[in-house]
Amino acid sequence: MWWKTLSVVLVLYALSIGLLIPLKPGVVRVSPETAATGQALSLQVYGYNSFFSKSEPGQIRVWLEYDSSRATAAQTIKVLNDTTLEASFQLPPYLPKGEKSTLLTAIVDHPADGVSLLPNAIKLIQDTAFLKSGATVSSMVSDSAWTLQPIDNLHVIKDFSFPYRNVIYESIRNTYYHVPMWFVLMFLFIASVWYSIRYLGKPDPDFDRKAAGYAEAGLLFGFLGLFTGMVWANYAWGKPWSNDIKQLMTAVALLIYLAYFILRRSFDEPEKGARLAAVYNIFAFASLIPLLYIVPRMFASLHPGATGNPAFGSEDLDNTMRAVFYPSILGWTLLGFWIASLRIRYQRLHDRSHGLD
Amino acid sequence: MNWRHFIILLQKEFLLEFRQRYAISGIVLYVFSMIFVVYIASAKADISPKIWNVLFWLVVLFASINAVVKSFVQESGARQLYYYQLAEPVMLLLSKIVYNTLLLMVLSCLSFVTYSVVAGNPVKDAGLFWLTLLLGSLGFSIAFTFISSIAAKANNSATLMAILSFPVILPILLTLTNLSKFALGLMPPLATYDRDIINLLAIDGILVTLTFVLFPFIWKD
Repeated sequence: MWWKTLSVVLVLYALSIGLLIPLKPGVVRVSPETAATGQALSLQVYGYNSFFSKSEPGQIRVWLEYDSSRATAAQTIKVLNDTTLEASFQLPPYLPKGEKSTLLTAIVDHPADGVSLLPNAIKLIQDTAFLKSGATVSSMVSDSAWTLQPIDNLHVIKDFSFPYRNVIYESIRNTYYHVPMWFVLMFLFIASVWYSIRYLGKPDPDFDRKAAGYAEAGLLFGFLGLFTGMVWANYAWGKPWSNDIKQLMTAVALLIYLAYFILRRSFDEPEKGARLAAVYNIFAFASLIPLLYIVPRMFASLHPGATGNPAFGSEDLDNTMRAVFYPSILGWTLLGFWIASLRIRYQRLHDRSHGLD
Repeated sequence: MNWRHFIILLQKEFLLEFRQRYAISGIVLYVFSMIFVVYIASAKADISPKIWNVLFWLVVLFASINAVVKSFVQESGARQLYYYQLAEPVMLLLSKIVYNTLLLMVLSCLSFVTYSVVAGNPVKDAGLFWLTLLLGSLGFSIAFTFISSIAAKANNSATLMAILSFPVILPILLTLTNLSKFALGLMPPLATYDRDIINLLAIDGILVTLTFVLFPFIWKD
């Protein structure tokens, strides 16, 4: 009984904390998105969940970063409102290595929000109009303009909030609802195949009911995972179904289990159906492994951690997210086993009342 | 393990096929008709190597499933019971898998020859392509023979055969089309196909092991 209570508590925890905790401040975009070297640039910086007016104007600092040791800092900064800054730069006349153009990272730091950054925020183009005839950019490059204003004394705010990621923004919360579905599906299918194996060892109708019940609950979580994934894909990839290899393989995996339920009911004698369904369940589980873990490695995927690693990359989580993610997996798993146990008890009563047990 | 039983059972499969020549002729005709239908339905357009590859494997897939489905369905329950009394059931399965592999090799070679006459032959690496055909026949034979032994027990065996085997065959089919893309020169020059062959053999290995572990639970009624 305690585990049912625990599952409710953990799922409610994941739902409330996962949806209510705010994201860390971030930088959405800057404007303009291209600039030329040597120019006096007035850059608008748009923040997300930021409170620029909470900091003293002099404490806000903005950089355009070239690499870890090279950056150029804003000379004056004007706060327009909580989410908009106007930063004025005097851009150095040359790029540090004589390139034609490069992408710079925008970094904003102030005491109220801490540090936030936007990679590839602005494209800086080498201006060649002012060169004397015969001179080349590379002969004029001097690195010093880029190392005068180092990025230092950054404010790091430690509070309980979720990381800000470009493109996915608030949908990062779906990590607590989409990803655990696949964990639960795997646990339930493992339980199902375990009872199928036991049924072949000892043909007890209870093992068959358990195998079917866990497979049904697993299928339910498969559809939920597919659905939560489509909601997320619609937001992050622009459309709910992109024929991503993982979407396709998951759909096929669900087809296997739908076929399992058709097979169960294709026999006149329940004992024969149960036995052959148990055989197919084991066979299907074995082909699930290549579907979910071998084939996705062979093709490009839009999912994170796609190259060579079909699993969810551990670098995608920070400690705040782990504090919600792991309880969420446990909560949904217990809930899944609870649903399956209800299904199994219902089927047992149904079989008894029909004289099948 | 009694290998003499295996040889006799294999001979029986060949003999049965020879006595029922109309069945194998039917499958061959099926392949021919399908290739012509596929070609004409694609409006006789110039079939690019990419499309050629997909259509070819679809033809082989459907030909294979139709050739293998009869292996357990064609013999009545009583006759099967008789076999199980005489020989080890696993040997019966092994003889059917080996026989079906040979049958599918012949069928897929036949499909390839006919298909390349009709739709052209874009194959660049012939050795690799033939290897793919052999590996494909092996994989299809293992999976379809095993599924047909399950489906034969049910009332609606033709439908069940399709819905049970298509999802299971998909990893094999994907690896095969990938491999034959290498043979057709559709892959980037530095890509290698060793991993695909290893994957395919691994999948075949898993399926064959499971087939032999699980078959004793299927035939007993």
